[in-house]
Amino acid sequence: MLQLRNLRVAIDDQEIINIAELDLQPGSRLGLVGESGSGKTMTAKAIAGLLPDETKVSGSVVFGGQNLLELGDRELAKIRGKRIGFVFQDPARSLNPMMRIGKQVSEAIRLHTDLKGDAVKAKVIELLRQVQLPDPEALVRRYPHQLSGGQQQRVMIAAAIAADPELLIADEPTTALDVTVQEEILRLLISLSEQRKMSLLFVSHDLGVIRFVCDRVAVIYGGNIVESGRIEDIVTRPMHRYTAALLAANPGMPKDDNFSAYIGKRLQTITGSVPAVGKFPSGCRFRNRCQHATESCSNAPATSTVGQEHRYACWNPGNGGR
Amino acid sequence: MPDTTTSATTPASAPAAGRPSLRKRLRRLPITLYVGGTLVSLFVLVALVSFVWTPYPPNTLNLFNRLAPPGTPGFIFGTDRAGRDVVTELMLGARNSLYVSVVSTIVAMFLGSLIGLSIAGSKSVLQGSLTRFVDVGIALPGILTALVLASKLGPGNTTATLAIITWQVPVAARVTIGPARQILALDYVEAAYGYGRSKAYVLRRHVLPNISPLLIVLGSVMFAAAILIEAALAFLGVGVQPPTSSWGRFLNETQSLLEAAPYLMFFPGVAIVLTALGFNLLGDGLRTVLDPQQARSGLA
Amino acid sequence: MTSLVEVSNMYFHYPRAKIAAGDVGWTLHDISVAIRPNSTVGIVGESGSGKSTLIRVMCGLLRHQKGSVKFDGREVSEYEGAGVNDLRRRNQIVFQNPRRSLDPRMTIRRSLSEPIRALQERNPDDTELITSIQRVGLGPEVLSRFPHQLSGGQLQRVGIARSLSVNPDVLYADEPVSALDVSVQAQVLNLLMDLRDQLGLTLVMVSHDLGVVSRMCEEIVVMRHGRIVEAGRTDSVLAKPASEYTAALLRAARAASLERSTAN
Repeated sequence: MLQLRNLRVAIDDQEIINIAELDLQPGSRLGLVGESGSGKTMTAKAIAGLLPDETKVSGSVVFGGQNLLELGDRELAKIRGKRIGFVFQDPARSLNPMMRIGKQVSEAIRLHTDLKGDAVKAKVIELLRQVQLPDPEALVRRYPHQLSGGQQQRVMIAAAIAADPELLIADEPTTALDVTVQEEILRLLISLSEQRKMSLLFVSHDLGVIRFVCDRVAVIYGGNIVESGRIEDIVTRPMHRYTAALLAANPGMPKDDNFSAYIGKRLQTITGSVPAVGKFPSGCRFRNRCQHATESCSNAPATSTVGQEHRYACWNPGNGGR
Repeated sequence: MPDTTTSATTPASAPAAGRPSLRKRLRRLPITLYVGGTLVSLFVLVALVSFVWTPYPPNTLNLFNRLAPPGTPGFIFGTDRAGRDVVTELMLGARNSLYVSVVSTIVAMFLGSLIGLSIAGSKSVLQGSLTRFVDVGIALPGILTALVLASKLGPGNTTATLAIITWQVPVAARVTIGPARQILALDYVEAAYGYGRSKAYVLRRHVLPNISPLLIVLGSVMFAAAILIEAALAFLGVGVQPPTSSWGRFLNETQSLLEAAPYLMFFPGVAIVLTALGFNLLGDGLRTVLDPQQARSGLA
Repeated sequence: MTSLVEVSNMYFHYPRAKIAAGDVGWTLHDISVAIRPNSTVGIVGESGSGKSTLIRVMCGLLRHQKGSVKFDGREVSEYEGAGVNDLRRRNQIVFQNPRRSLDPRMTIRRSLSEPIRALQERNPDDTELITSIQRVGLGPEVLSRFPHQLSGGQLQRVGIARSLSVNPDVLYADEPVSALDVSVQAQVLNLLMDLRDQLGLTLVMVSHDLGVVSRMCEEIVVMRHGRIVEAGRTDSVLAKPASEYTAALLRAARAASLERSTAN
């Protein structure tokens, strides 16, 4: 239901995103994982049509049969919020501190649905219940600062799903939250996606979180998708060297209860750091930091497929070993 | 070839190795610095020159040539009601206006920021009441204070300067408190306490430099206000009295001459505006230059 | 083995926290914990647990109102006058957000020399600073730069170098890697472990991330709402949590983490 083809985004003649192909099936949850400077947020913004004016965008982002990149601002605004919902990282910054919760959610409803008057009020209560907020009737009169971080994020989610969108884009929605609250919010997103048959594009730097929420994942580095496929395939048999390195660097939690084996053990690092925009090497963007790079890596790697849907772009893949 | 070193030495953006030539660095300076600097220097120069030379000796009355229009031979900008040459009046006026505005702004900024910093650094229980004190200071009507001062000390430059200082200090203090408190809440301040720095050191070496952009802007705005206040005070008889020249006094005189010589107010008016603008631009340029993030030439 | 830092029945509240006469809004309640020299202790908890406040009281930056906090056998309050510098030198903090912990208007060189200038009253020369910076894996070229010219990972290394420049006994790290990417996080954690071993540091690390703590710290303290819920050896506490809260934290952390079958 969402197809990216040859999406290229450039600022000041520097190409920052170059995605040949990325698909999201209806009802599916796709994780987009990358570190800072990977272009993951830019990609989400490109889909939403929220890139700054100075950027040059080409290619196609097909949603529901239309190429979003070709639509004007007016038509995009109709789709945003109504058919595509957004949840961002810091709810405290996305909510208007001067407006009561009820009003903020009802704004979303009024903008994107045809409901009026009392129907709107009823819908607000219903939405707040759906995001599992206690005592919605009392909550609507409160201000954001009177709610905890987790509750604020639930309000954001309520506003985002108000018009029953087909796609929800969430950019690091739980990064600012405590770990127990995070689990609740993630479970909420999963259940909403399942109940409403709503697709989810989950952007994050945290592979652990993505594994919990998503059924598919795309790994992005230097603006390119280096690997994509079903989450279990990627996590257990990573092919691209960057994916493998990312997995190895993650402290993770021991599978069993044998914590003593982990204490004091060094983590596997990736040498160097993510280059600044424009300072990436030619060919494979990861080759300067890769232990297994060879001469062929100076040419952009072709995409190969292994098994079902598991695609990667690497000349010297790890073949699943870690 | 794979890079097997383990140090992360790729910075986000590194300046070119070696310092660029002086010429290049000068060209990269913001234009506001040049324009502002030029304007300010011009007026300072004019004021200084007036001590040694003016087209006509001070207070030369040309009773035959009163209200001569600009372009009259011998009087490029014309003369005022008493026949005084406008150029001479402007030059002489520069002395007083600049003196009063600059001195009062510098003193007010200094005292104001000192008070503001001290309040921001004081114990949190005290801060509320101290800030209220400052608010009372802001609420005091400046003109009234000026009149009271004039009645005690007599009119003149000193009175005008003192009046403006009294007026502006609370404002400067109030504006400083908020940002200073924000800086004090940052981690690098906490780190400084952690290695034994005193609060006074922190205020001086960490807070002050980091609020300096704000202070520079405040200073230029206050300077512009000072010039205008001086004009108002001169009108009320609190500032310098005739025959001493002042742009403000000149400007106020021209108001009653609107019918006879409407062009006359143009001269002191433009002088005031250009000087205020000059200080504003200079302040803006200084702010850019002193900001390590913006000063590509690394003047800091 | 005697403890280096010993806290007994300590209570702390921030100024202005008195709600009503007699009813004080304590941030920390009845805290008792002991840190042995050369140990690595992780303090975990969610927001509002008081973990960041606790380390500040422990190193003497904040003054507790009730109970006792001893460093090297003496009450923290006894380190007065010249002794205060001794306390400060031997206890240093590394902060969470590298972009907030360095003065943006000071060069790295200046920021790095600050602790020595303040506590040892001398101005270190470049040779000394270069040694300091190389120890954390950075090159001498960063000395002339300003914070905005360095990446988050580099800045965090500078922060670590700065706190180690005065050879402290205890290094308190307040969420030192939370603001960093996974790959950079791994580099900085390894660095902390290496430095700890090389310099014989006592490391007290605050974190909300159980995965990180289970790697770094042999001992763990679990906090909630300003109280210590559970404390002990990391492997036993996490393998068999005595408190339901710890178990809940563990479950939530596990859910959103990658499972590993090996440590590397």
